[in-house]
Amino acid sequence: MSLIPAIGRVFLSFLASTGRLAMFAGVSVSHIFRPPFYPHLLLRQIIEIGYYSLPVVGLTAVFTGMVLALQSYTGFARFNAEGAVATVVVLSITRELAPVLTGLMVAGRIGAAMAAEIGTMRVTEQIDALSTLATNPYKYLIAPRLLAALIMLPCCVLIADIIGVYGGYLVAVHKLDFNPAVYLKNSWQFLELVDVISGLVKAGVFGFLIALMGCYHGFYSKGGAQGVGSATTNAVVSASILILGFNYLITEAFFSQ
Amino acid sequence: MNGRPVKIALRGLTKSFGKKHVLRDLDLDIYEGESIAVIGASGTGKSVLLKNIVGILTPDSGSIKIDGEEVTGLSGNARDRVNRKLGMLFQGAALFDSLPLWENVGFGLMSAHGVSRADARIAAIERLRQVGLDEDSADRFPADISAGAQKRVGLARAIATEPEILFFDEPTTGIDPIMGDVIDKLIVKSVKELGATALTISHDMDSARRIADKIAMIHEGKIAWVGDVAKIDNSGNEIVDQFIHGRVDGPMSASLLGTPAA
Repeated sequence: MSLIPAIGRVFLSFLASTGRLAMFAGVSVSHIFRPPFYPHLLLRQIIEIGYYSLPVVGLTAVFTGMVLALQSYTGFARFNAEGAVATVVVLSITRELAPVLTGLMVAGRIGAAMAAEIGTMRVTEQIDALSTLATNPYKYLIAPRLLAALIMLPCCVLIADIIGVYGGYLVAVHKLDFNPAVYLKNSWQFLELVDVISGLVKAGVFGFLIALMGCYHGFYSKGGAQGVGSATTNAVVSASILILGFNYLITEAFFSQ
Repeated sequence: MNGRPVKIALRGLTKSFGKKHVLRDLDLDIYEGESIAVIGASGTGKSVLLKNIVGILTPDSGSIKIDGEEVTGLSGNARDRVNRKLGMLFQGAALFDSLPLWENVGFGLMSAHGVSRADARIAAIERLRQVGLDEDSADRFPADISAGAQKRVGLARAIATEPEILFFDEPTTGIDPIMGDVIDKLIVKSVKELGATALTISHDMDSARRIADKIAMIHEGKIAWVGDVAKIDNSGNEIVDQFIHGRVDGPMSASLLGTPAA
């Protein structure tokens, strides 16, 4: 008999959280466009999110491209379709693997860091201190992070595209004895602008989601160190799930016939 | 009452967290230039009262007026405009740990008053000097200094913008008695120099006596007694007597210990 009220409570709690998140996102986005602006904070976040993520993004992309070339070669060899390896690598990287894997790696690095930093500021009253110094915490803490992530994730993915394709090229040419010129020709021949654009649009959305989840969970964290730990975990898990869900929706929007 | 205008007027202030009623229909007037300490046992709503006034919390009902202006429900730029009149020293100092000390102190000047970094640094170093910290400490970070020094920096930050109203949340908590005395003296000096109105939250009677002209006792979400510091020892109020003498038995026992009053 107590099952139905319990389900009701969970459902109501879910609705309340969704509403609070929507309001948080709305207020935060509105502060991106309203002065005063903090360009030095935006620049700091751009460096933090973009520049410092490059090593992990680059390593992820190069190994993904290498594995993809190797796996597709061993699979396609069964059908004498080895010539399609270059096309499969470039399309997989640009459309799916670069944006999704970059998103997941950055969610782990940046989403967690944002939740931990803002969460610590919350539990040590630093966010309250901002308010008493007549500084809006949404404008000072949240808006620069959202905007920086929105700008830098596509840049990271563009770089991941190039490194990922180069990883496939390295394996194909040096291990599988593909002709370099033919491999590059096959890579370019079937690549269309929409393949790259769709990946960059995904990256922008993923960047926004990563920053939103990191800031939201940090902003509403409570209960000291344990609360900050939970906020960090929730930020990474929720951002990762949203990335995978939105990846499907954006793919459907771009490529559904 | 004393010829001075009311700076902060609280009427019917009520705040609950779930089923816990913290503030219940609380009334209090704080006059311009007055330094008042709100005392009370732990968990009686002292900090909640202060956070409602500075806009960190929103009351469930009631009125908060600063300089005659209703401030409950204000947000955004309107709230920021009111907060420019305020300065606050937090219980744990709440310094921004990613910024050096001078930027912490000059933060309000740069962020809310449009002062350049160079001028803010000069002003911040001067404020640090006023609270007993030398210029060499300006580029250090909050994690590198002691709790007492953090309180000093927090005080320097609170007074840096020369606010009309100063709030001090448990200014001597977590520091040794000697440093507590130093902080109290700095608070008195700062308040007098600025001619500010001050509200201090404390459960340290010695500190409250040193800092304030007037004391208000909060009990069960209401002001149980308010009067001059000199009169507190002869207040004739059982709640005040029990608190200032630290007695276990008395009218506060029921709410503090969950047992009937002796």
